[in-house]
Amino acid sequence: MASPLAWAADAPVDFNREVRPILSDRCYGCHGPDADKGRKAGLRLDEIGGATKKLKSGDIAIVPGDLEKSTMVHRIFSTDPEEIMPPPELHRPLSAAEQDILRRWIKQGAKYDPHWAFVSPESHATPAIANPSWAKDPLDAFIADKAAKAGLKPSVAADRTTLLRRASFALTGLPPTNTEVDAFLSDQSPDAYEKRVDAMLASPRFGEHIAVGWLDLSRYADTWGYTGDKAMFAWPWRDWVLKAFNDNKPYDQFLTEQLAGDLLPNPTQDQRVATAFNRLHRMTFEGGSIAEEFRQDGINDRVMTAGYGFMGLTMECSRCHDHKYDPISQKDYFSMAAMFGDQNENGLLSYHGEVPPPFVRLYKTDEERRKEAELRAAVNAAEQALVATRTATAKADVKVTAPVAHFPLEAFTKTGVDDAVAGGKPAKFERRGSPEDLQLVPGFKGQAVKFDGDAGFILPEFKQLGRFDAFTFSALLRLGEKNARATVLHSTGFYTGDGDATGIELLVTQGKLRWSMIHLWPNSAASVETVDALPVDQWRRVTATYDGSSKASGLRVFLDGLEVKTTVVRDTLHAKPRDNALEIGSRTRDAGFRNGSLDEIQIWRTALTAAEVAVLHGLTADSLPAAVHAEHALARSNPGYAQAWERLQQARRALAAHEESAPPFFAMEHSSLAPKTFLLTRGEYDKPDLTKPCEPGVPAHIFPWNESLPKNRLGLARWLTDPKNPLASRVIINRLWAQVFGSGLFASSENLGMQGDLPTHPELLDTLAVDFVRSGWNTKAMLRRFVLSATFRQSSTPTAEAREKDPFNKYLARGPVFRLTAEMVRDQALLAAGTLVEKVGGESVQESARRRSIYTYRKRTAPPDNMLIFDAGSREICQPKRLNTNTPLQALVLLNNPGFVEAANSLAVKVSKASSEPSAQIVAAFRHVCTRDPRPSELAALNELYAIQKAAPPQFTPAPPKVAVPEPKADPKSKKQPAPVQAPSGPKMPADPSLAALTLVCSTILASDAAVTSR
Amino acid sequence: MHPSKPSYDSLMQHTRRHFLGASALGLGALAMRGITGEAQAATLPKGTHFPAKAKRVIYLFQAGGPSHLETLDPKPLLREKHTQPLPDSVRQGQRLTGMSGYQATLPLAGSFVDFKKYGKSGVEYSDLMSHIGGVADDVCVIRSMHTEAINHDPAITFFCSGNQVAGRPSMGAWASYGLGSMNENLPAFIVLVSQDATKDQPLYSRLWGSGFLPSEHQGVQFKAGKEPVLYLTNPEGVSPHARRGMLDALGKLNADQRAAELDPEVDARLAQAEMAYRMQTSVPEVADLSKESPETLAMYGESVKSPGSFAANCLQARRLIEKGVRFVQLFHQGWDQHGGLPGGIKRQCKQTDQASAALIKDLKQRGLLEDTLVIWGGEFGRTAYSQGKITKESYGRDHHPRCFSLWMAGGGIKGGQTYGQTDEFGYNIVKDPVHVHDLHATMQHLLGVDHERQTFKFQGRYYRLTDVSGHVIKAVIA
Repeated sequence: MASPLAWAADAPVDFNREVRPILSDRCYGCHGPDADKGRKAGLRLDEIGGATKKLKSGDIAIVPGDLEKSTMVHRIFSTDPEEIMPPPELHRPLSAAEQDILRRWIKQGAKYDPHWAFVSPESHATPAIANPSWAKDPLDAFIADKAAKAGLKPSVAADRTTLLRRASFALTGLPPTNTEVDAFLSDQSPDAYEKRVDAMLASPRFGEHIAVGWLDLSRYADTWGYTGDKAMFAWPWRDWVLKAFNDNKPYDQFLTEQLAGDLLPNPTQDQRVATAFNRLHRMTFEGGSIAEEFRQDGINDRVMTAGYGFMGLTMECSRCHDHKYDPISQKDYFSMAAMFGDQNENGLLSYHGEVPPPFVRLYKTDEERRKEAELRAAVNAAEQALVATRTATAKADVKVTAPVAHFPLEAFTKTGVDDAVAGGKPAKFERRGSPEDLQLVPGFKGQAVKFDGDAGFILPEFKQLGRFDAFTFSALLRLGEKNARATVLHSTGFYTGDGDATGIELLVTQGKLRWSMIHLWPNSAASVETVDALPVDQWRRVTATYDGSSKASGLRVFLDGLEVKTTVVRDTLHAKPRDNALEIGSRTRDAGFRNGSLDEIQIWRTALTAAEVAVLHGLTADSLPAAVHAEHALARSNPGYAQAWERLQQARRALAAHEESAPPFFAMEHSSLAPKTFLLTRGEYDKPDLTKPCEPGVPAHIFPWNESLPKNRLGLARWLTDPKNPLASRVIINRLWAQVFGSGLFASSENLGMQGDLPTHPELLDTLAVDFVRSGWNTKAMLRRFVLSATFRQSSTPTAEAREKDPFNKYLARGPVFRLTAEMVRDQALLAAGTLVEKVGGESVQESARRRSIYTYRKRTAPPDNMLIFDAGSREICQPKRLNTNTPLQALVLLNNPGFVEAANSLAVKVSKASSEPSAQIVAAFRHVCTRDPRPSELAALNELYAIQKAAPPQFTPAPPKVAVPEPKADPKSKKQPAPVQAPSGPKMPADPSLAALTLVCSTILASDAAVTSR
Repeated sequence: MHPSKPSYDSLMQHTRRHFLGASALGLGALAMRGITGEAQAATLPKGTHFPAKAKRVIYLFQAGGPSHLETLDPKPLLREKHTQPLPDSVRQGQRLTGMSGYQATLPLAGSFVDFKKYGKSGVEYSDLMSHIGGVADDVCVIRSMHTEAINHDPAITFFCSGNQVAGRPSMGAWASYGLGSMNENLPAFIVLVSQDATKDQPLYSRLWGSGFLPSEHQGVQFKAGKEPVLYLTNPEGVSPHARRGMLDALGKLNADQRAAELDPEVDARLAQAEMAYRMQTSVPEVADLSKESPETLAMYGESVKSPGSFAANCLQARRLIEKGVRFVQLFHQGWDQHGGLPGGIKRQCKQTDQASAALIKDLKQRGLLEDTLVIWGGEFGRTAYSQGKITKESYGRDHHPRCFSLWMAGGGIKGGQTYGQTDEFGYNIVKDPVHVHDLHATMQHLLGVDHERQTFKFQGRYYRLTDVSGHVIKAVIA
C-alpha cells in the first residue's frame, strides 16, 4: 500500500485551502504585507511578485516549478537551526505534511489565488443529492452534499416537541410554554410548524433575543467602564436595536444608520440615535488623564468594533504597523480612524458625568419635535425683529453703572481680599492658596496682586452665571511672562481637564486672550480669541463682556477701553453650564495666572457697551467714534430695541428650556472642527507624523473604493453595502447562521482575514450571502429559511458512527446542540416559574425586577455574576462571539443563586396549585422547564427525590436571639426617608415539607442537562 | 439503534468543550496532556516547558502606586534638595499627569522617613518596611521597574494582564490556563481583596478576568465571612444531606440523558456539579483560620483577627497554596498619596509590612517558600517632586511610571539583593530597567513556562501575557 505522502506527491494543491493558511500562520509575520521594518530580508510571500523577486542576497524564494532553485524549499527542509524556516523561535515548526504541501505547491507552479473572503461572493448551483426530497431549502442540498462526501447521511427528523423547543430558543431565546406545546402537537395541519415559526418571528421576544449578540458586539452597557464607572445613558440605543430587529429593518439600513445615520439627508431622531453604536466605547474621568490619549483610544475602539462587526477584519492590528497578515496598511487604518474621528469631541468624560457631546435631544413625541421647530422659528423671527429696531437713536449719555463687585487689591485680610462695594462679600484665598503664595506688588493704582500660578481667589457666593446671563469682567492686567496657558478667571471645574470645564472662562493662551462661555468643551461652547498677543510686563485694562446671547458674537474683548479683533473658536453652545463659583487667578489641576498681576478687578452682571468700557478706562465720550455711540444709544435709550432684545432673549430661553427638557443622548455628529487625522507613529497618541495626514478612506486593497462616494462614514456604509462588497454580507450571514446552528459556517466570526478559519461550506456561505443581498438584506426571511430547513429539523442525537466521524457536528448531518446562553438559562427559569415580567424596552433594571436578561443593568467593572459565570462578557470591548464553558460555578448558580432558588420555589407553587398529586406536579414542572415529558426513569428519580426530601423537611438554623436595633432616627433636616432595615437577603426554603420537597425537585430540574441544553 | 458499542472514552477525549470544561478547577490538569487534533486544541498548553522553580505564586498587589521613595529606594539627595525645583535635565520633558502637569513649580520632596541596612546582605529598607527588612536575605528588591501607563486604570490593567486595553487574560488566568490547579476541589486562581484598606481607587473584576481565555480561568474571589465563594452556600433550609440527594437525582437525570443523547458533555456537566458539591466542603475548610496556632497568628499581627484584613488574607493565601491553589492574588488599595503622603503611607505600611514578612517566614518554616513565588508591588511609582505644596508636616507625590520598586521572594528568587538602579532623584532608571513584560516573563519562567511559547490564538493572532516583548531577568534567579 502506498504511503500517504507518496500518494500526495501528485495531488494538486489548493492554494486557499492548503497553502495560504500555512504561509499566513508561519511566514507572513515577517514576510507579509507589513511594509515597515517588520518585513525581513526584503521578502514578501503574500503575493507572487514579492515571492519570485530576486532578493539582495541574490536568492529567489520561489521559482515556480523549480524546487532546486527555490530557496524557500531549501530553507523549509533545512535541519540547520540557523537556516530553517520558520525559525525555531517562532515555536510553530512546519509538520512534514505542511512541508510537503509547500513543496508540491512550488512544484506545481506556485499559483496564488486571491483570498477567498476578499473576492465578491457568487451564487453556486445547488448540488444534486442522493435524496432530493429530503431537502426543504436549497441550503439543505449543500449540507447533505458535504456530509455525504464525509460519509455521513442526514439524521431523521427531530420529534416535534424537541423541534419546537429548539426553534423557540433560536428565535426567541425562551422555551415554548406547555400550552404552546400542546397547541402545536394537536395542530395536524401541514404548515403547523411554519405557523409557529412565523408567530415567533412576529413576537417582540424575537428582538429581545436576537439583539443580545449585537449588544455583545457593540459593547453595549449601562456604565462607562474604567475607574469610578459612572452610569452611561445608553438604553435608548438598545431599544433602537431591539426595534430594528423586530421591525425587520433591512440589514443594509441597519448597518448604514448605525455607522452614519447622522450623515443621511435630513436624519430622523432615531437615525441619529442609531449612531450611538460608535459612542458606546468606554470613557474615563480619572483625574489627570490625558484627553488626546483617550480620544485616540476611543477612535480605535470605533474602528475595531466596526471592523469586527461589519467587515470581519481585525482592523486594530494595523494601528501600530501595517497588518501582518491582511492587506491593511497603517495608512488604511488611519484613513478609517479619520472617518470615526470626525467628531468635535473631548476624549475624557466629565467628572460630573454629563452626557459627553455631541448629543441629540431625545424628544418623546413628534409634537415635541414640532414644538422645537416652532421655537427655533420664533428665535429667528425675534432676531429679525431686533434688526428692524436698529434705527438711529439720539446720542445718549455714557455713564458706567456701579459694579456688583470691586476688588481694589490694596491689602490682604486673613482670608482674602475685601470688596470695595458696600455690602459686598470678600474674595477668599482659593484652597491651595495662602497669603504667602500671592504677592502684593506695586500696581497700576496702589497695590496689585501677583499670582504664582497655583493660588488665587474664589468668590464663593458669586454663582448662577448662566448662558443667558450678561456679564462683564474688567481688570488691569499685566503678564509676567508669555504664558502658554494661564487661567485668569473662570466659573468652571477642571477635574478631568477640559472635559470638565463648564462655565465662563478667561484664559491667556500663548499670550492671547480667550474668552468663552462653555457647557462642555470643545463641542458645546461659545468662544473667541484675540488676534494679537498681549505684551509682557505692561499694564493693560482688559474688559471682557458677554451679552447673554449664548453666541460667540456676544463675547467681546476690550484692551484699554477699545474693542480688539477676535476670531471665533467655537460657536456651538447647546446647553447650560453647571453652576460654579467664580474664581480668579487659579484653577485646580490647571495652570493659573503664573507671574501675572491683576489690579482693580470689577464685575458687572450686565454687558457694558463699548462706550461704557471706554469711559471706564478714562477715555472721554467725545473721543469715541459715531458707531460706538450709536450702539450705546440703541442699547441704553431705545426702548424699542431694548424690548426687542428682551423678546429675543425670551425666545432663546424658551427654546433652550424646551431643548433641555429632553434628555441629551450621545450620538455621532460630523464636524469640520474635528482635529485632522495624522498617522500615529507606532500608534502612539503623542506621536502624530505631521508629514502623513490621512484623509477618510477604506482598505481599498480588499474592495475598491468608488470615487463617487462621499469620503466619510456614509461613504463607508455605502461601500460596505455595495452588493459586490465581499465582507459585509458574509459576516452577517455567518452571524445569523451561528445564531440558529450554534456555530458559524466559518468559526472565526470576527475574522474573515487570512488568519481566520476557512469556511466549512464556502459555496453555501457565498450563495446565502448573494441570496441575502438579493432579498433586500432581509434578516427575518433568512432566519426563517434556516429554521424551516431540513438541516435544522434533524434530530440532534448522533449515531455512534456519526459521533466518531464528526464529533463537533461540522457537517451538520444532525441537528444543532448548544448549551443555553446566560440569558436563556435565567429567562427560562423565570418563564417556567411564571414570574417573568414581560415588558419591551425601557430603562435597564436590576435582576430582582424579573425582566428578561437583556434588560439587566450592566456595570462594566462589575458585571452580573451569573452572567459572567455563564460566559457572557463584561461589555468593555467588542465581543463578536462568546465561548461556551462548563464549570462548577455554573452549578452553584443554578442551585444556590437567589434568583434561581426563587424561580424553583415559584415553579413549585405554580405546579402545586394546578394539581395535588406530587407526580403530576413533577411532570408539569419538568415540562415547564425542559419542554418535553420526563422519561420514566427520569420521573422515577425525581419522585424518589421528592419522597426522600419530604421525609426530611428543611432544617433551619435557629434564628439568632433578637437584639433590639434602635430605629434609625429621621434627620429632621433631611428630606430623605431613613433607609428601610434590610431583610436577610439569602434564599430560603419554604417551611411546608411538601412545598420544600417540590422546590428542591424544581431546583434539580433547573440544573439538569435537559434544562440548560437546547437539543 | 446503536449498531456498535460507542467507544465512550474516545468520545470524551474528542470533546474539546468537555476538556475545557473539565480543566476548570483542576480535573483539567489530568487531561492537560496529549490533547491534539482540533485547531484550537493545538494551541493549548502542554504544561511546563522546562522544570519549574516555583509551583505557585502569591502576588501581593499594592493598588494605587506605592511610593518607592519612602519604602524601597532610598534617595538622600532629595532630602538635601528638599523644596528645590525638579531640574529640567532630570525631567527630560517626560509627560506628567493632568493633576500636576500644570503646577507652577515642581518642588523636590525628601523622604520623611529614614532608611537602614538589613540582614547580612545589607539591603536598605525604610523604617516603614522594617519587618520586610527582617527577612531581607530572602528578598530581592527590584528598583528599576517601569511601565507605560500614567493613570491607575490603564496601569493596573496593564500590570495585571500585560495590556492597557481591557479584554486580555490576567496573570492568574494565564497560570490557570497553562498549569491548572493542583487540587481538584479548589479553583486554580483565587483573589483576595483587603477589607481594611482605604479604598481610594476602585478595583474591577477585569483585573482577574479571563479575557479571551475560557471563563473557567477567571479568578474566583474569596470573601471573608459565611460565604467565601459566591453562591457556595445552600439556601437556608437545605442541608448537606438534602443537597446530596439532589445531586444523586441529578446524576440519574443526566445519566439517562447521556444514554439517550450520546453526548459526553452531559457527563462533564455532572462532574462540575459534583465538584461544586465538594467545594462546598473544601472551601469553608480552607477558609477557616481558627485552627491556626497562636504563634502563627501572632506572627501576622493583631489585624489577622479581623476577617478580610490584609494580614488575614496573607494567612489565607498560605492556606490556599498549601492546598494546591496555583495563583493567589491579594489586592490592597490605598497607596494613592497625591497629598498627605507621610500619614497615608505610614498607615499603608502598618497594614501590610508585618503580615507580608510573616507570610515569607511562615512559608519558609513550612518548607513552602522554596517553590512559592511571592511578589509585592503596585502599578507605578511616585514622583520625586511634590504634587501640591510642601508644608512642614506634609507633601504629596503624583503618579510616576518611569521608575518604581517592588520585591520578590521565594520560588527560585535569589534573596538578599537589589536589582536595577535609579538616578539620585529616583526619577529615571540608570541601570538594568525591568519592564512589566520582563517581570511577567520572569514570573512565567520561574513557573516553568516560556513566555514566548505559551500562546492562545484569538481573532487570528497568537496572544501571550507578554505581548511581543519581555525578557527573563536572569540575575534575580537563584
